Amino acid sequence: MLDSTDTPHIVFDRITKSFGATEVVPPLDLTINKGEFIVLVGPSGCGKTTTLRMLAGLESVTTGAVHIAGRDLTHARPGERDCAMVFQNYALYPHMSVRENIGYAMKVHGTPKEEIDARVGEAAALLGLEPYLDRKPRNLSGGQRQRVAIGRALVRHPQVFLFDEPLSNLDAKLRVEMRTEIKLLQKRLGTTAVYVTHDQVEAMTMADRVVVMRAGVIEQVDAPIRLYEEPANRFVANFIGSPAMNFFEVATRDGAAWLDGQRLPLSPETFARIGARDRVTLGIRPEHMDGGDAPAPLTLRCDTLEPLGAHTLVLGHVGEEKVVAQVEPRFPAEPGQECTVQIDMSKAHFFDIDSEARL
Amino acid sequence: MSHSPQPDRVKYAFILPAFLLVLTITLFPLIYALVVSFQTIRIVPPIPPRFVGFDNYTEILGSARFWGSIQVTAVIVFISVALQYVLGFALALTLHHNVPGASLYRVSFLLPMFLAPVSVALIARMLFHPVLGPVNEFFTLFGLENLPFLTSPSFAIATLITVEVWQWTPFVVLLMLAGLQGLPSEVFEAARVDNISTWRRFRDLTFPMLLPLSVAVVFIRLIEGFKIIDTVFVLTGGGPGTSTETLTLFAYNEGFKKFNIGMTSALSFLFLIVVILFGTLYLAAAQRMIRRYQ
Ligand SMILES: Nc1ncnc2c1ncn2[C@@H]1O[C@H](COP(=O)(O)OP(=O)(O)OP(=O)(O)O)[C@@H](O)[C@H]1O
Ligand SMILES: [Mg+2]
Repeated sequence: MLDSTDTPHIVFDRITKSFGATEVVPPLDLTINKGEFIVLVGPSGCGKTTTLRMLAGLESVTTGAVHIAGRDLTHARPGERDCAMVFQNYALYPHMSVRENIGYAMKVHGTPKEEIDARVGEAAALLGLEPYLDRKPRNLSGGQRQRVAIGRALVRHPQVFLFDEPLSNLDAKLRVEMRTEIKLLQKRLGTTAVYVTHDQVEAMTMADRVVVMRAGVIEQVDAPIRLYEEPANRFVANFIGSPAMNFFEVATRDGAAWLDGQRLPLSPETFARIGARDRVTLGIRPEHMDGGDAPAPLTLRCDTLEPLGAHTLVLGHVGEEKVVAQVEPRFPAEPGQECTVQIDMSKAHFFDIDSEARL
Repeated sequence: MSHSPQPDRVKYAFILPAFLLVLTITLFPLIYALVVSFQTIRIVPPIPPRFVGFDNYTEILGSARFWGSIQVTAVIVFISVALQYVLGFALALTLHHNVPGASLYRVSFLLPMFLAPVSVALIARMLFHPVLGPVNEFFTLFGLENLPFLTSPSFAIATLITVEVWQWTPFVVLLMLAGLQGLPSEVFEAARVDNISTWRRFRDLTFPMLLPLSVAVVFIRLIEGFKIIDTVFVLTGGGPGTSTETLTLFAYNEGFKKFNIGMTSALSFLFLIVVILFGTLYLAAAQRMIRRYQ
């Protein structure tokens, strides 16, 4: 098992991408270490696929440079980069059987037949494709096709894996299984991987580091847990975590935050960091509203309850602002009535109201 | 409202008129021609029809001119369709890869297809004039003066093939280009990422994926090609002698020079049989090839 190293493997040096006059990716810097599993995540249309395609060489870089393993490959053909890619819509060879699809690149590059068979067999076993080896892609389900596409990338033993939403067409159970498999396999092979998804759970569970993008701009690059605990700005805070973080506009004075006339005491260090402000954004995750290290009572109007078994979601309002709180199943609340939750103020986040940056 | 199924017979009653109409329009002339082919009918001078059985067929099958015309037709069709396909596919590939000025080429390449074959043949007749034509001037540059483009059998066949290729390659370009543009681009991107060379991408991906289309395009051109008449009529008139006489021209000469309608009908049916024969052989071969790839 190889853990990610600190040796830079892929370097994006201020790359930009424009389609005609529209700049899709403004200058972007990113260094990916050898053996690292990087996940690009962000809302639809933010430029994840474009960035990945620039790395693969399928999309030209408008300005800037791409280095892989110390070589400047900005203008190299895709084939020279030793990457293997799994496409969003499979891109299988329609007239070849599953076996031929997986083994095709090896066959063209003159790998001995026994080795091709061995590697195809290994990949098929791993991906549960053995019963389908002689079928054509059109006779496979979406999930099976996607696994063939993954198998085709795996058998090549490339320097870099590129995944473009490879699990988007699988059912929930298979998706959970496959993400573990991919992650374990990547660690076993020690191959650097760049993985695109817009599913934040996938991003959090698979990544060594997550790159959160918005409109082509990298908002934060960090380990999943840091992303959760210390989001760099309101966008990241909102994007990571489910259900999403609550945001309130509050005032800070006298060592506390004031929300709708209710006093939420802050620790002296926190208050010293933020200072007295008329308007500031307070962010608190729903799962941090049921007691904890520094509980502060907050009264809210309960609109509806969503019992999920392990816990219950209280959907309501504080003043004009919507709030979602995650509480224990037997929490005393009635729709239409007021109820009081205990906010863990040690888990509260503060963001500048204008720049939205973390305070 | 309940939805009871219509009684079955009523729907046939509604279809019947259309069915009969189509039957009359398509089948009647064929059957009429078949009947005529077993008779001797002359319009000029008018002689009352006389039933002769298979006499017309045996006479045609026994004539060297008939077998010659089959050979001429087959040579022209097979060589010209092969050239049309190879050239057309190559041009389509070039246009597909957006060479500079592709859109201009796209229009100009298609023009020959829109011309009437008669006018193409007339233009060709001027171009290939053994003394005055520009083609002669071109070959004169290499010291080959006054080549008998239309007056020596093998030259004349080559000229006919050239004209056919010139006129009908655009058809292949058009369809193959449409086929290329319908191919999924990610499949080729996947191959590029996997470092598959351009040639292997063509051989292993483009060609097999377009094989069903290729089979159809070649089939259309074969069937159309067998009917070649106007080009030959204008360019060589089947000459010198009958050395460039195609099946259809032979039938035309029988019908409109000798006014032997019975003979012409018999010839038409033999023509039909020849086309069906070649067509079936071709499709059988194509089917085997497709099955190997698909
Ligand atoms: N060929 C193109 N021409 C013009 N604009 C393009 C082109 N390809 C992508 N774009 C634009 O670039 C932006 C980023 O697209 P991209 O495919 O990278 O998004 P994405 O993050 O992968 O989204 P998704 O999650 O929906 O796949 C989009 O706004 C898209 O409209
Ligand atoms: Mg995408």
